Amino acid sequence: MIPARPTRNWPLWIGVLGVLAAMTVWSAYGIGFSASELACNIAGGTRLIEESWPPDFGFLPRLAAPMLETVYIAIIGTVVGGILAIPVAVLAARNLTPNRPTWFVDRNFMNILRTLPDLFWAMLFATAVGFGPVAGALALTVFTVAVISKLYSESLESIDMGLPETIRAVGGSWLQMIQYGALSQAMQQYVSYALYAFELNIRASVVLGLVGAGGIGMILETQRANFEYERVTMIILAVLVAVLIIEEISESIRKRLT
Amino acid sequence: MTTPKSPVTLDPLKRPGPPIGFGTMVTFIIGVLFFGSLAAIGFTPDRLIEVPAGVARVLSFFWPADMAYGWDRVLPAIVESIQIAWIGTIIAAILSLPLALFGSRVLFPRLARGVKLISATARAFPEILLAIYFVPIVGLGPFAGALAIGISSVGMLTKLGAEVVDSLDFGAVEAVEAAGGSRLLALRWAVLPAVLPEIVAHWLFRFELNIRASAVLGVVGAGGVGGVLLNTLRYRHFDKAAAVLILTILVVLLIDTLSGEIRRRIIRS
Repeated sequence: MIPARPTRNWPLWIGVLGVLAAMTVWSAYGIGFSASELACNIAGGTRLIEESWPPDFGFLPRLAAPMLETVYIAIIGTVVGGILAIPVAVLAARNLTPNRPTWFVDRNFMNILRTLPDLFWAMLFATAVGFGPVAGALALTVFTVAVISKLYSESLESIDMGLPETIRAVGGSWLQMIQYGALSQAMQQYVSYALYAFELNIRASVVLGLVGAGGIGMILETQRANFEYERVTMIILAVLVAVLIIEEISESIRKRLT
Repeated sequence: MTTPKSPVTLDPLKRPGPPIGFGTMVTFIIGVLFFGSLAAIGFTPDRLIEVPAGVARVLSFFWPADMAYGWDRVLPAIVESIQIAWIGTIIAAILSLPLALFGSRVLFPRLARGVKLISATARAFPEILLAIYFVPIVGLGPFAGALAIGISSVGMLTKLGAEVVDSLDFGAVEAVEAAGGSRLLALRWAVLPAVLPEIVAHWLFRFELNIRASAVLGVVGAGGVGGVLLNTLRYRHFDKAAAVLILTILVVLLIDTLSGEIRRRIIRS
């Protein structure tokens, strides 16, 4: 026998689709979306492409120093943020946290860190400690804590609790339980999250300079403001190549670890 | 008669392994890179002492937050950021759905290679770099931001969508083809209904990410709340900047919670 064709809850479907359509129309109206404007401006687009091609290769040597600065910022942010993320993650893991209030406070702290995008931190630190790479490194530190602690606390929650419980049973302290029973079990995940955070930080540190927080973005911002689009293209190409190289390296490290 | 010697001698008190452990080596390399970087950007110890004081001083100006400014100016900007993220996600969803279906390595081995190239290229560009190009094309404002978000989201959504399709049980596809249906018909009646819930969940997740992304686009003049924060900080109106931060945190938390709940329900049903 052929099973009956499944019926749909039509009122619900129409309601959901209606809400989605309404949100889309409202948003499109709000941001001034217009297909005709887009069509009109295609001409401007082709002119822009002509202006930004070919990339200004003569500009390349001047990119080396800021590019290195970008990498420095990412390294500092990843190392400091990666270390700070460990206690944040441990206290936010339901099975390891010493008591519920600590868990609650730490969990919310973690979520609030995660709501603000990287560039907001960069703007804040650039204002607080002055323009330059130090502000960028601090911003990426906070951003790294936000990224790693969330992922790592989830890994910690899924570890096998036998080992930590044994350590407690034979008289180990809470810290010893964390160090030998929990962190060592999720070590591999931690390393792979740290590498992931490093990749994100390289990408992020490209744009930090747009708000004055050091790195190659600062050059990008000046060339953009002067409409030197051939140089902008050169910078973006250099960034893409650097990002791809870093991803390749971290991918090979990750493969070797597993 | 002598007993043959064991090929391996084991000292029970000594751990096997190279004289310098792998861990020590990695720690050393990371340490060198880290302190080298600190020195290179001029992060000296005396600078380190200044930093907490500087941060504390600026933070002290943040209170009390100018919430009147928040309701009048910041909230509309946040709403604009949400609209940018929504339109960007819609653009990305429309573009990425066919790409994800044709990007399945199992169903379309040859097409999938091309699709993978497109999605890898789209993923390589951070949205803010795309916005730099879209602003001169369509002018300053949120429209440029929405286009940048849309294009840069296509890559990730295509990749995740294709993975969902590939993880499918292809029995239904074979059934449609055995009954005489074409590949395309199989796509419509066997693949799409099975993968749509998970793909929609990915769209919602990308919407959450896009709200954060659209919040910073204002820095290059592409609309949203980022420009407001940059201006308040530039002119040292810290009480107004505090209003921006508080409202952004609240709105993002609210949307994350809502969208997370919807995602869980979609996946469960």
